[in-house]
Amino acid sequence: MAKSSAIKDAEALLRSLRSAYTATPTNLKIIDVYILFSLFTGVIQVVYMAIVGSFPFNSFLSGVLSCIGTAVLAVCLRIQVNKENKEFKDLPPERAYADFILSNLVLHLVIMNFLG
Amino acid sequence: MSRAPVILSFLLLAVLGNAFSPENPTDRKILVLLDDLSIKSSHSLYFQSLQTRGFDLDFKLADDPKIALQRYGQYLYDALILFSPTIDSLGGSLNAAAILDFVDSGHDLILAADASASDLIREIATECGVDFDEDQSAMVIDHTSFAVSDTEGDHTLIAGDDFIQSDVILGKEKIEAPVLFKGIGHSVNPANSLVLKVLSASPSAYSANPKSKLSTPPTLTGSAISLVSVVQARNNARVLISGSLSMFSNRFFRSGVQKAGSTINHEKSGNEQFVTEISKWVFHERGHLKAVNVRHHKVGEADEPSIYRINDDLEYSLEIYEWSGTSWEPYVADDVQVQFYMMSPYVLKTMSTDQKGVYYTSFKVPDVYGVFQFKVEYEKLGVTSLSLAKQIPVRPFRHNEYERFITAAFPYYGASFSMMGGFFLFSLVYLYHK
Repeated sequence: MAKSSAIKDAEALLRSLRSAYTATPTNLKIIDVYILFSLFTGVIQVVYMAIVGSFPFNSFLSGVLSCIGTAVLAVCLRIQVNKENKEFKDLPPERAYADFILSNLVLHLVIMNFLG
Repeated sequence: MSRAPVILSFLLLAVLGNAFSPENPTDRKILVLLDDLSIKSSHSLYFQSLQTRGFDLDFKLADDPKIALQRYGQYLYDALILFSPTIDSLGGSLNAAAILDFVDSGHDLILAADASASDLIREIATECGVDFDEDQSAMVIDHTSFAVSDTEGDHTLIAGDDFIQSDVILGKEKIEAPVLFKGIGHSVNPANSLVLKVLSASPSAYSANPKSKLSTPPTLTGSAISLVSVVQARNNARVLISGSLSMFSNRFFRSGVQKAGSTINHEKSGNEQFVTEISKWVFHERGHLKAVNVRHHKVGEADEPSIYRINDDLEYSLEIYEWSGTSWEPYVADDVQVQFYMMSPYVLKTMSTDQKGVYYTSFKVPDVYGVFQFKVEYEKLGVTSLSLAKQIPVRPFRHNEYERFITAAFPYYGASFSMMGGFFLFSLVYLYHK
């Protein structure tokens, strides 16, 4: 009985989360998809390294770090463009996006150098 | 005027001829120091065998005031035979230190002691790593392997047949008859790895005064007693130390021998063969090696590089020749090893040989960079030691020598580029949605 009530609680929690998430603006949802994509790619590489071995270790590091870096930069963008976040209310979203582009360019430059 | 070039070319020829003449490690000129000139005739067979082999013997009395080993810093002799067991002080400027300097500068020495050997002879022997019995009147006595003679005697005439197992020192031909020995025994300093016992006493031998009753146990007993020893110094100087001068005498050369307890009566003792063979070794007619033509190069190339890269495949070869007394013959062995050495050997390989003196091997340079050495340290019983070292640096890969586009790394490349593509797509979608 206790178990079924726990499952019921979890289901209720998920339902409330989903209904709350539908209220999220579309631009933030796009960022979320992007973050999930990069994290998923990173996890695949870690699994691959565990199977094949760490031989071109620099390639592995740059591959995984490009995923993590992308995810981190996207999270930063999401924090800055979120309307409900009062801390950045003075920062225009255009400025946040420009920062995001610049950081990404630097990140990928470094990754390209370290990859091969 | 036209003569100058002719003279010059003759000079050049002389220099070239000199340069191309093969080096000859055999000793040529030998100083023989005797107690008494009668030894010259009583040991004439031995001296004759040396002279017929081309040695120039210079006989002197050991207390002759005119004897000198060197003049103006140049040694006058290649080797020294000390057949003067009772001499207390040598003539001229010669003393124990001068004789040891002679050996230290790479010259050879044959030293024969006898019962009542003097302190000088004992001192030289001690410096060579051999300790004669301290009792002045002691001789080696053996009641089981003495040489049978008409009179019963005191069993100090020993028939020794416990030889060192070395073809290099004693020659290929086996010494069948025992060697007659009458004299004092010595022990070999265990800390000295350069001394070898060539003729050991039998387990029943001991060293004591044969004329007096044995009241205390003898200090030297059994096969720890060495009758004849040799030393090959680190500079390849060779020293022979014998406790018996009469071992070299005509009387012992000619005498027959029958070992006690054995029915075989040898017509002739083994002394002549033993002493002749061992003097061939001492005077570098045998067992003297030289290594030439040390070469190394990358596999598939002929030129010697000034530097190797890690993981290069290389080939190393050298030629080893042995002096046969008249010419350099190819040295054949299967235990010559080369080391690729930096603080410790990273590679240690036994080299193959073509049986004509050439030794070769190939190996991969280790995955470590630094200053390495090709080292050949060849030390074998009896032969002169070879010690070659050639320095060679090993560098890491240059940055453009690393492998590009490794197959195993393709997922990582794909991930990085998909992140870039994802970034581009994300920008489009993010900017143009709605």
